[in-house]
Amino acid sequence: MIVAGVFCLFLSLDKVFHTWAGPSSLAAQEPHGWRTPVDCVRANELCAAESSCSSRYRTLRQCLAGRDRNTMLANKECQAALEVLQESPLYGCHCKRGMKKELLCLQIYWSIHLGLTGGEEFYEASPYEPVTSRLSDIFRLASIVSGMDPATNSKSNHCLDAAKACNLNDNCKTLRSTYIANCNKPFDTYRCNRRKCHKYLRQFFDRVPSEYTFRMLFCSCKDQACAERRRQTIVPDCSYEDKEKPNCLDLRSQCRLDPLCRSRLADFHTNCQASFQSLTSCPGDNYQACLGSYAGLIGFDISPNYIDSSTTSLIVSPSCSCRGSGNMGEDCEKFLKDFTENPCLRNAIQAFGNGTDISPPPKNPPVPPVTPSPKVEKSPPLPDDINDSNTIYDTSMITTCTSIQKSLTTDLMPEQKTFVDPKGSSSRHSITGTLSALPFLLVKVAL
Amino acid sequence: NRMKRAKAHHKPCSLKELEVTVSELGLGYTSDETVLFRYCSGTCDSSVRNYDLSLRNVRKMRKIKKEKVRARPCCRPLAYDDDISFLDAGNRYHTVNEVSAKECGCV
Repeated sequence: MIVAGVFCLFLSLDKVFHTWAGPSSLAAQEPHGWRTPVDCVRANELCAAESSCSSRYRTLRQCLAGRDRNTMLANKECQAALEVLQESPLYGCHCKRGMKKELLCLQIYWSIHLGLTGGEEFYEASPYEPVTSRLSDIFRLASIVSGMDPATNSKSNHCLDAAKACNLNDNCKTLRSTYIANCNKPFDTYRCNRRKCHKYLRQFFDRVPSEYTFRMLFCSCKDQACAERRRQTIVPDCSYEDKEKPNCLDLRSQCRLDPLCRSRLADFHTNCQASFQSLTSCPGDNYQACLGSYAGLIGFDISPNYIDSSTTSLIVSPSCSCRGSGNMGEDCEKFLKDFTENPCLRNAIQAFGNGTDISPPPKNPPVPPVTPSPKVEKSPPLPDDINDSNTIYDTSMITTCTSIQKSLTTDLMPEQKTFVDPKGSSSRHSITGTLSALPFLLVKVAL
Repeated sequence: NRMKRAKAHHKPCSLKELEVTVSELGLGYTSDETVLFRYCSGTCDSSVRNYDLSLRNVRKMRKIKKEKVRARPCCRPLAYDDDISFLDAGNRYHTVNEVSAKECGCV
């Protein structure tokens, strides 16, 4: 089935090629075209307009259809095709969450990248464009939307407030009702329709702006009723729980067979990878990116959720276990711990719940490729974000975040000019940054 | 004050909205979730037809005695909003339909 599906895709891609082969003048190949970020659908069009590129791409896809990377690389023709394609716009192209033709874009992305990597490594690079906006932008919007002064109702249930904000917005309300109606088990039958439930959950998290969805998913709680509401957000009875938990690595393999799930998982690993070099434990200190890719996993079999309605321990996990991992036990634990014991993810969730965020380092601010948001770069780094605080600090619960926040305020801010982002978070889309980051990219590819 | 009330009373039939909790809807569900309740309100004076005038007269002449009749148009929803879903106090989800008006008219 799957092989047949892949084959069909190739056939339909071929059609695309032929229709696009006509006006070849449009994309006289820029020698460094791959450095400017283009989405893979566009890159595919550029490649199709170039006869050498399109024929090599066709060759590569045929090579990959065999599915065994070693045999493929043994074939000289396949290897040559891969080398040529590394100079083409297809190499280094990205996709956007919720874009038109997202699936097609991701299929094109993986057709190149599986050739490069073989698809066997533990972490994969995200096919999605780096997220440049900040949580503080969301807070600003969220407080406008709710029209509430967050400081005045410290007693309130934030998850209930989030549901209210969603109910008062027609788009959010409609898409929420749709997934709830589809995920809720009918009284007379034993099971719900999980596939439909997942589909409408994905629709909700893809189409509703994150100032609504994040508030519902990452609200901070002081009592169990609130935390239970938070856990219930994704209707776990249908979307999450199962009679028995599958093995996590099996679940991952399943996920990797689907280009959409594979991409969301790779995105999660890229943006939520605990990093010991940054203050927040998050890559590029970007909470928003981590929360966004976490939310992007919801509606797949690998959907994570809160494991209980505890107010103090924020533990999330996919519905799987490491039982029956055999000699892959260590890998499995490692995979699971990226959810259950991930300081980046935990800090990001807590920071969102408390309405705190770290501002981007002032030097070398990321240059967003399509929609620049000058607000973020112009505003003075910290005071602005402190004003954004959505809630009163819950000191009993927060440990890491407040201390990070404090240390930032007191010692680190004056030195921020010298703060160098170790991961070069802006390298992928700033043109000047790309040159200096070339070694990084090459190392990434080699890995 | 009476003038104000009278003025408000003469507004033509239109859609209004109110934030209420699900419990306040009185449908038998207990939930603190707030929803937007849209309803129809206003008068339908301009929609009075000859039908209404005739009916009134025939009734006045006691040709209609025991039946219940309505000799004036009524401001009612012409269409209802989409379903409303919410989590109740017992952590169960419910979906209810035709709770809230979407479009009003004199019928």
